[in-house]
Amino acid sequence: MLLRNAKILFNNPVSLELYHMALVCPDIAATIQPGQFLMVRIQDRLDPLLRRPFAVHRLYPNDPPGSFEMLYKVVGRGTQLLSNMLAGDSVNLLGPLGRGFRLPEEKGSVLMVAGGIGIAPLPYLAETIAASGCKGPSVLWFGGKNSADLVCVQHFNDLGFTVQLVTEDGSEGRKGLVTGHLEQWLTQQNELPGVIYSCGPYPMQRSVAEMAARLGISSQLSMEALMGCGVGACLSCSLRCRPPEGTQEPHYANVCQDGPVFDGEEIVWDESSS
Amino acid sequence: MANDSPISLTVELGPLRLKNPVMVASGTFGYGQEYAELVPPERLGAMVVKGISLEPRSGNPPPRIWETCGGMLNAIGLQNVGLRAFVEEKLPWLNPLPVPVIVNLFGNTVEEYGKLAAALDGQEGIAGLEINISCPNVKAGGMIFGSDPKMVFQVVSAVRSRTNLPVITKLTPNVTDITVTARAAQDAGTDILSLINTVAGMAVDAQTRQPRLANVVGGLSGPAIKPIALRMVWQVVQVSTVPVIGLGGIVSVEDALEFLIVGAKAIQVGTANFINPGVTLEIIDGLEDYLRQRNLEDINEIIGTLEVP
Ligand SMILES: Cc1cc2nc3c(=O)[nH]c(=O)nc-3n(C[C@H](O)[C@H](O)[C@H](O)COP(=O)(O)OP(=O)(O)OC[C@H]3O[C@@H](n4cnc5c(N)ncnc54)[C@H](O)[C@@H]3O)c2cc1C
Ligand SMILES: Cc1cc2nc3c(=O)[nH]c(=O)nc-3n(C[C@H](O)[C@H](O)[C@H](O)COP(=O)(O)O)c2cc1C
Ligand code: FES
Repeated sequence: MLLRNAKILFNNPVSLELYHMALVCPDIAATIQPGQFLMVRIQDRLDPLLRRPFAVHRLYPNDPPGSFEMLYKVVGRGTQLLSNMLAGDSVNLLGPLGRGFRLPEEKGSVLMVAGGIGIAPLPYLAETIAASGCKGPSVLWFGGKNSADLVCVQHFNDLGFTVQLVTEDGSEGRKGLVTGHLEQWLTQQNELPGVIYSCGPYPMQRSVAEMAARLGISSQLSMEALMGCGVGACLSCSLRCRPPEGTQEPHYANVCQDGPVFDGEEIVWDESSS
Repeated sequence: MANDSPISLTVELGPLRLKNPVMVASGTFGYGQEYAELVPPERLGAMVVKGISLEPRSGNPPPRIWETCGGMLNAIGLQNVGLRAFVEEKLPWLNPLPVPVIVNLFGNTVEEYGKLAAALDGQEGIAGLEINISCPNVKAGGMIFGSDPKMVFQVVSAVRSRTNLPVITKLTPNVTDITVTARAAQDAGTDILSLINTVAGMAVDAQTRQPRLANVVGGLSGPAIKPIALRMVWQVVQVSTVPVIGLGGIVSVEDALEFLIVGAKAIQVGTANFINPGVTLEIIDGLEDYLRQRNLEDINEIIGTLEVP
């Protein structure tokens, strides 16, 4: 775990609400794994008070050395301030944090599912899987509200993924929710994927986990929670999980430390949460 | 930090002697391990660990925190590993550290406080106990122990009679007159007072008309509560015969100095650890610089020097 100031190389809008921010921080770039995250202090003031968690979107080992990119969506005060920052400004990073994705078996096929900004951690995972020599077929199912949400599709194409797009308003790809179309598609496949990697809103994650369980596929889900510290010290980022043998109910895991990536079977889904 | 400096940051809080007055607050530093890569525990004046109870506690359902203007609300629900796991799994790591470890404790009943104190009394590696009285008394219909001077007296007496360790009583600000509960703790034999715990608060989502915290209400911490904390420390210092530890909203060396000037012998840093994990180290170095700039040698020359014109 490191605490570093990192210089912004660029901070470019990709759509109305989405931004790419590239940062240089060689020692964090050298150790961070796909699915791990950083707690970002957006400015050296007390507003907003707390750090904000972000995933690494893509890693650029050589261009320039030790740089990486975040993809973020403007949803509130912190991300609004982030979007106003310029090349040459700095942010303060705490990380790498949490447990990331486990890589698939060599020959197995890979299915990734993303909902909206849930796409953020997946390109780095896809690049890492490709670099690890995994030869199985790879598919990305990517759902958004509209076509503006469906960013970095070309990158997945370049990595050899088959990309299936879904939008709620039908402005691109199939119309509806990603999970509805996905289940139909999965039941038509001769061979099921070896693993599902998923990141997106809570109801989508729940559908993916339940679908994976029904079909006997293992799932790894990157979960979100409001975070205070990011390091396991404040116990604010709880996610209800199955209790380990001999411990009491309910059992809450720390998303920041036990996750953010969880096996689908670990999570006890709450019907009322969204 | 100049090593040849004759500057002394050592403070004496009754039976507790600290090499500097900067402690970390319970519930904001885990069990010390979480931040150890960034904050060498031995640099701290003392470390207060997450509050423990006799039995493990699951805590509240999420969401458990909400950020507010200059502060954060939390309703963790006192989640903790429980006495046994603390002693078996956490204490062996803490024990050899060259830093005083203070164990924060709480119970559902007066008896539970006493039992915890007795169980911790025999353990190696504990420099003191901090009693969290901001918890509901199950036998008194869930009323907060710390809000009633009679219950404060009972809880502190129960702990005092079962331990030889230094006892710190941590006061809640959610009372009309904090000097009354401070006196009750003192009369029951507390060695030290610490204040303040979080200020009761609440936040609502106007779009959904739902509370932001699953527990509906929570405790406010961070810079927003500093003026309240400072005022209460000032009030307590004037009536108390035991040393006082000040906390609430400290994020900088200036904040720490304000509490010391008002009369706190030591300070604790809570929420600020989340924002800037290096903050305690910056405060320790900053206190030395402050003294050096004024040609002072001893932090005790600052403590309790508020000049009211
Ligand atoms: C492990 C992890 C990785 C993440 N990675 C990314 C990423 O790569 N790109 C990205 O755009 N976002 C990511 N997020 C979500 C991001 O942290 C939040 O969107 C951000 O903190 C919102 O800050 P804000 O000040 O703009 O919003 P606020 O004003 O704080 O809140 C606005 C809205 O955002 C919601 N929100 C606030 N904090 C979080 C949070 N931590 N998680 C989920 N919702 C939140 C609030 O409930 C509220 O509805 C990640 C979250 C986690 C837990
Ligand atoms: C997430 C969180 C957890 C806390 N847990 C405890 C606890 O277990 N026991 C306790 O006595 N105080 C607990 N506190 C209160 C703090 O120790 C401290 O009194 C309070 O936060 C005010 O200080 P601050 O403004 O510097 O954070 C907690 C505070 C926070 C923010
Ligand atoms: S954010 Fe503090 S424990 Fe996870």
